Amino acid sequence: MAANADLDLSRRELIKLGAAATVGASIGIGESLDAQSSASAGASAAGRAFFTPGELALVDELSELIIPTDDHSPGARAANVAAFIDARLAEAWEEQERTDWREGLRTIEQLSHEATGKPFMQSSADERLAILTRMAQNEGKPQKPEEIFFARLKSRVVQTYYTSEIGIKQEMEYKGNSYLTEFVGFDVS
Amino acid sequence: MNLIRLIQGDTQPEVDLRRTYDAIVIGSGAAGGMAAHVLTSHGMKVLMLEAGKKLDLDKELKSTEWPYQHPRRGEMPPGHHALSLNEYTIRQPPYAADSAFTKVYSYVQGWNGADYSKDIVVDEKDHPYTGTSYAWVRARCLGGKTNIWGRLALRLSDYDFKAKSRDGYGEDWPIAYQDIEPYYDRVDQYLGISGVKEHLPYLPDSIFQRPTKLASAELALRNSLKKMNRVLTPYRAGVTTDGLKHNKYRRRCFGRGACNRRVGGCDIHAAFDSPTGLIYPAMDTGNLTLRTNAIAREILVDKNTGKARGVSFVDAESGRAYEAQAKVVVLAASTLESARLMLLSKSGAHPNGIGNSSGHVGHNFCEHVMGPGVTALVKDRVGQPRTIDDGRPGGFYIPRFRNLSDRNANFIRGYGFEGSAGSTMFPNRAKETQGFGATYKKTVRDRAGAYISMGGFGEVLARYENHVDLDPVRKDKWGIPVLRFSYGFGDNEKKMCEDMANAAQEMFEGAGFEIVNVDRKVLTEGWSIHELGTARMGTNKKTSVVNQFQQSHDVKNLFVVDGSSHVSASCQNPTWTIMALAWRSSEYLTTELMKGNL
Repeated sequence: MAANADLDLSRRELIKLGAAATVGASIGIGESLDAQSSASAGASAAGRAFFTPGELALVDELSELIIPTDDHSPGARAANVAAFIDARLAEAWEEQERTDWREGLRTIEQLSHEATGKPFMQSSADERLAILTRMAQNEGKPQKPEEIFFARLKSRVVQTYYTSEIGIKQEMEYKGNSYLTEFVGFDVS
Repeated sequence: MNLIRLIQGDTQPEVDLRRTYDAIVIGSGAAGGMAAHVLTSHGMKVLMLEAGKKLDLDKELKSTEWPYQHPRRGEMPPGHHALSLNEYTIRQPPYAADSAFTKVYSYVQGWNGADYSKDIVVDEKDHPYTGTSYAWVRARCLGGKTNIWGRLALRLSDYDFKAKSRDGYGEDWPIAYQDIEPYYDRVDQYLGISGVKEHLPYLPDSIFQRPTKLASAELALRNSLKKMNRVLTPYRAGVTTDGLKHNKYRRRCFGRGACNRRVGGCDIHAAFDSPTGLIYPAMDTGNLTLRTNAIAREILVDKNTGKARGVSFVDAESGRAYEAQAKVVVLAASTLESARLMLLSKSGAHPNGIGNSSGHVGHNFCEHVMGPGVTALVKDRVGQPRTIDDGRPGGFYIPRFRNLSDRNANFIRGYGFEGSAGSTMFPNRAKETQGFGATYKKTVRDRAGAYISMGGFGEVLARYENHVDLDPVRKDKWGIPVLRFSYGFGDNEKKMCEDMANAAQEMFEGAGFEIVNVDRKVLTEGWSIHELGTARMGTNKKTSVVNQFQQSHDVKNLFVVDGSSHVSASCQNPTWTIMALAWRSSEYLTTELMKGNL
């Protein structure tokens, strides 16, 4: 069981959680500490890195090309999408996942060299767009390695962006997850 | 250490193994919870055995936590894996054998926010089964699957109870609607249900609390369906929307919409769950003793009388074995686990397993088939301002329309649809929308609230040959023989599913929606999590296991009050019927025990 030193922490937790938590609060202090430590483990995992600085910059740029800032809301860069993907890959259970990403990014650099003779990040905005367009061309039925990687990349970027605070609140203007006194919509009679 | 102990049950007495309880209830889900409620309210001293642990669900579910407040946006930690549709279809159980993952869960953990429910569902590694493909979802903890159930709370009618009389297939139930109606009423009033009266003979109304409302596309579909003489009604949710004055553990629904974002679960307990709805109030009577982590191993039999005398159980953590004694044993471990336990309980008096002189235990196994469905774009909703469409326990339900007054040429029985329209937290079809860049972003934004979709749930016919038995070799983590499945959909289900997809498309087109996807794939057996019928009721002792009061034909003081007693699956979700029947049977049990008949 928890040491006395942990008592205050748990009390603070309870107060923070408010009335809903106190009604059903606490099988024991141990539980809330477990929750705490797993949350902080997650936070430190979020800080762990897999990408090299160059790879991170590349993923950051790709994410912003997929979901850019527009006049409605900030895009994937502002939502720190690349850093989140990096942290997930750093702790991914299957080595294959990291390998797939590293090879996918390498494929993009190859495409860039073939097209412009330059690394992706040194090519022009139009050139970058052309490479991404080529990667996305068979989105419904990806065949080539770069097409398969595009599907992987986009899925992760989309998942991460629309679960971010920017994605949910600014871009989607989601109004739910709130306490309603009345249901919203149309009555039937 | 004695700190804050507000969770009900922490101060309950320890199980007393020298005592003979009036009844032992095995299982704490909808059926076991209801049995405990009814029996304790009549003053009976009850011991409840739950195989899993008691969880502080408020801490597990965290319903209002935003995705970005969770370190992995709700995903499970590395090494935790949810089985995919492919794994279920390509491979055969046991699915987690030789897995490289540390924890393997059933497919429900593949949904969003699975990290919040990973302690509720079982680790497939500890709980293997064998045989044919089957997605068997189990929750071993106090309350079982009621902690994460879908909440659609429907009644059955005589179209279901007397289905054989209508089409000649299978068996009629030994009860009619009028026998169960008063108990449906009591379940409605004791637990709370939201909905709208529609006066349909094939889907009887409940005593409803405040209904939810429809999104605009849902209303358009409702109006369009009237022309086809079909009904769309707001989701009939087993949720208290007005509150329950008699229950201090539950609060009324505040439309936070958490119910559909994740695997499920309601941490203010507006949605029914067995612990707050039934078990904690039962504990407050002082008549209920709860023993968690108690895996029932065998129903013990008195050698002289052949009657049940108690239950042996294994402590899930220590592995130690115990025996508890009672005058009556009430089996409510879930359809498949109850059958398993009856088959495990072999004795001189009951060589084929307790209550199994008919040889029907494990047979006539049925459920709901699902998969076919449709998604459409509602053009006049594109680009409209955001509305709150997910702030409610569910969207809509379209009750069955096949084989009511007409007779379909290709299949018997029917199916219904569950669906919803409008905005959700994660934008609809964001991953399926093609392209990238500003155009992609705007398309997702403009269309996110403009989709409507629904999927069917159809009756799987009860067939003797669809069954489970004990695997002769394989055992679970506690050395207990596991179930072996011999089960599959038949021709009637396949033809019904084809019709389901076509009918769904036709209804959406009729409402003027633009179809974007028609799903025709039938999901793996088990996907509906509505398994039923392995110890069916009946009047004939040779072809059924229990009577109309869910009392074993063979063993008078053994009752099987969960979904295993259902004679046919109907196409309506079973939870409300499970509870109404358990209420009725528990009253009968009480009376019979008092009369000295057990």
